Amino acid sequence: MTKSTVEIIHELFSDNKLDSFNLKISESKGTVFLEGNVDRWDQAVMAGHLAGSLRSVTAVVNDLMAADTVPELFIRTAGEDRLIGHADVVVIGAGVIGSAIARELSKFSLDIVLVEKESDVCCGASKANNGMVHSGIIQEPDTLRSKLNIRGNMLYENLCRELAVPFYRSSLITLIMKEEELFLLDLVKARGDALDIPIEILSREEALNLEPSLTPDLKGAFTAPSTAMTSPYKLTIAYAENAVENGVKLFLNTEVTGLKAERGKLTRVVTNRGSFTTRLCINAAGIYADKVAEMAGKREFTIHPRKGELILFDQVDFENHAKIPTGILAIGQDPYTKGGGSMVTTDGNPEWGPTAIETADREDTSVTLEGINRIIDKFNSVIPGFNPQKSIISFFAGVRAATYTEEFHIKPSASMKGLINVAGIQSPGLAAAPAIAEMVLELVAAEGFELIENKSFNPVRKGQLRFKSLPLRKKKELITRNPLYGQLVCRCEQVTEGEVLDSIHRPVPALTLDAIKRRTRIGMGRCQGGFCTPRLLLLLARELHLPLEDISKDGPGSELLLRPTKLKPD
Amino acid sequence: MNNSRDYIAVIGGGPAGLAAALSAVNAGCNRILLIERDRELGGILNQCVHDGFGTLGLGRSLTGPEYAAHYIDEVIKKPEIEIVSNTAVLSLKKNRRIIAVNQSGLLDIKPSAVILAMGCRERSRFQTVIPGFRPAGIFTAGTVQRLINIEGMLPGEKVVVLGSGDIGMIMARRLTLEGAEVRGVFEIAPRPGGLTRNIVQCLYDYNIPLHLSHTVTFIHGKKRIEGVTIAPVDQNLNPLSDKEFDVECDTLVLSVGLIPENELSREAGVELDPLTGGPFVDQHMATSVPGIYAGGNVVHVYDLVDYVTGSADKAGLGAADYIKKKLKKGSARLLPGFNVAHVIPQYLSLPLEQTLEIFLRVKEPAENVKIRLSCREQFIFEKKERIVRPSEMIKVKIPLDFINSIQRNDQITVSVE
Repeated sequence: MTKSTVEIIHELFSDNKLDSFNLKISESKGTVFLEGNVDRWDQAVMAGHLAGSLRSVTAVVNDLMAADTVPELFIRTAGEDRLIGHADVVVIGAGVIGSAIARELSKFSLDIVLVEKESDVCCGASKANNGMVHSGIIQEPDTLRSKLNIRGNMLYENLCRELAVPFYRSSLITLIMKEEELFLLDLVKARGDALDIPIEILSREEALNLEPSLTPDLKGAFTAPSTAMTSPYKLTIAYAENAVENGVKLFLNTEVTGLKAERGKLTRVVTNRGSFTTRLCINAAGIYADKVAEMAGKREFTIHPRKGELILFDQVDFENHAKIPTGILAIGQDPYTKGGGSMVTTDGNPEWGPTAIETADREDTSVTLEGINRIIDKFNSVIPGFNPQKSIISFFAGVRAATYTEEFHIKPSASMKGLINVAGIQSPGLAAAPAIAEMVLELVAAEGFELIENKSFNPVRKGQLRFKSLPLRKKKELITRNPLYGQLVCRCEQVTEGEVLDSIHRPVPALTLDAIKRRTRIGMGRCQGGFCTPRLLLLLARELHLPLEDISKDGPGSELLLRPTKLKPD
Repeated sequence: MNNSRDYIAVIGGGPAGLAAALSAVNAGCNRILLIERDRELGGILNQCVHDGFGTLGLGRSLTGPEYAAHYIDEVIKKPEIEIVSNTAVLSLKKNRRIIAVNQSGLLDIKPSAVILAMGCRERSRFQTVIPGFRPAGIFTAGTVQRLINIEGMLPGEKVVVLGSGDIGMIMARRLTLEGAEVRGVFEIAPRPGGLTRNIVQCLYDYNIPLHLSHTVTFIHGKKRIEGVTIAPVDQNLNPLSDKEFDVECDTLVLSVGLIPENELSREAGVELDPLTGGPFVDQHMATSVPGIYAGGNVVHVYDLVDYVTGSADKAGLGAADYIKKKLKKGSARLLPGFNVAHVIPQYLSLPLEQTLEIFLRVKEPAENVKIRLSCREQFIFEKKERIVRPSEMIKVKIPLDFINSIQRNDQITVSVE
């Protein structure tokens, strides 16, 4: 007699010393529901993963409460029923996925609304990502993550050309550090052949010839030449800008608070600023995608946040750093750094990480000393000639929106017609983004939408001007045309007032310090804004006609200045 | 500006640039281009409204703007000096070609000599590796100084200061005067980083607690900073995590060190001293690249503006001499010895022609010590000093008689024993 899914999960739990006696485990149409109490958060996560590891399980709703963790308290923002518009499609979340989908849909004659709760696009994982466009080789074949990664990688080059986004085929060297693990190379090669992913196996000497800064302790390696690097936030901004240029209406500082249906069909998307009538909604809410999906009436999957910390290094130390991104392949890898690698951003900063830390707090973007040390220990041994402590220029963390099946969850809601969930988008989500947008388009067509080509769609976005990278002659011309391109605001990255004003007045306006930083690199240099912050505050206040104390780092609550001084000169 | 073919470009119009330009004129150079990034000359002095400037050099205690004005008044009187303000240097090459930019266009020049006078910048939260979130409300002390004294804006009212550098302590006082509550100054080292007079006048007089051997180990708050975790540190400066405590604040002010600003120096191929972060210089402030001189905090971070001015005086003179082709032959090396963190100059160009002035910082505080110069295993000079502290720069004058035995390729060790 075959065992039921629930029975198998009970066995799995007891094999892993999880007392499942008090836990309620149920299953319906491939979705497993876990309820009850455990002692620790990591046990709750392990339980979710064990359930999600079964092939027959398509989703896990994990309601386990951990005694050591403060339960998530959601104070839902008040919704505003007042109608503010109609849309054929409402896309929730302007991360890389939501923005890619909005831009893909703008190829058709549709009224599209893109809502984002933050003050800028790309405020979640899309801004705190290492920027690698993976080849797809490490993904388990026959998964969505594998298929969409490989397809996305193929689409990238042309996409970045259209959108004026930095992109280069960096390749990736993956090292084998133990003699007894060299057999992995054959498996990798076989998978590459089967999936049509170019792979080259390298001997120790070949690897060291290719990248002399690598440790001589390596035993073997392979390269995946189709691996590439892009700028995740510049791509997201470009997607959103091009979407807006093609008619998409972007609403920033707009948080979805509810979905309304009639006879099981979506009719309204309610936000804190008013509601939209619509027939179709795409949930690309990232780390909150399960909460949005639940607004359809039922819980369908659970997101478990997994933090990734990254360290950025000074551009001047690039010469001592490996030029080709590097990773390590091993059996039973350190679960806290999983993959992770050393790479160089498209702006020339060496970059190490990320870690992989399960966290109960969806917004835990803090970087810990343990995280920093873990990353440094790991890659110090890979690139021994580089001095990370001396070179650190910044560090940050993003939170991956993983589901317990560790698979992309891209499918129509089971609870409400007209809602498509695009959730669980973790690594290789950036690489897969263009392919995810394509896939969503198919799902939209399957919902019965008639897709009529938008004849005026223009795929080409004009990029933002970068004074520093222009030749002298062009610089001169530019200043003659507009003297503000001759006014330097950021000394480290040589950003001019003209560029700052450009970023404030583009199709997706930059309204905060961080938003301007992402578009111009202002404050990203080695002084990290010490010099330019006061100047930037003045510029933003002037351009937005706001008092200085209203200018924020990244939206309401992050204002920089409290009040004028007692003797404010004027 | 007259049309002499030879001219000096001075990069930076702060205290160092002003002094260098004046001294070059006094040394006979009749054409100088003073390039300043900001609208006005004076550099960081303009935001230093506290007093204490000029006590050594001018015999008066002035505010920063007053001290700057003293030199600016002189500079604008000199027809030899052309001031190009609101102009940022983008590039400096080994052949002394300078590309600068302003609202009228590009400046593409190749002066006969260049004086680096770009000053220094502050270490950031990331370089200091303070973990935690990245909220608004974390500022370097210099940024807060500019916001309050120039822009007239107060960043917050519950303040923690990390680091007891001079600007940190001065800003603790300034914030208090503006009505903010400074909840403490925390210093990772077992002793203060700044001058004794600032500890007294800025902290003790205002009841601001100074906690030595403490550091910030975590920054809390997702949007605006809400607090910091503080830990005492052991002798190796490692935080004692079991003794951590939290302090609520809306602002964190960092005064955790200054770094000479040497992006242009590096581009020009000037060799930098890893001990100071600034260029290697000789007693005339000549760098390793012929015709490129350096003065002030771009060389190493001085504690007093009077010393900045003094070092820039030498750079101005050196550059003027360079144009007059008064070249030196051969050089000896000055090296830091026992209890010396670094010493300026690092090179001596021979022959030595006058009293030598050297600057040094000690690693550890000490009392009743001797500053000793030794060459070929023999002491050549010795000077008693009652108290030495790492926070206070030591200036030593060595008459020519003691050092005229120095020969080419000699290594002279400076120690404090």
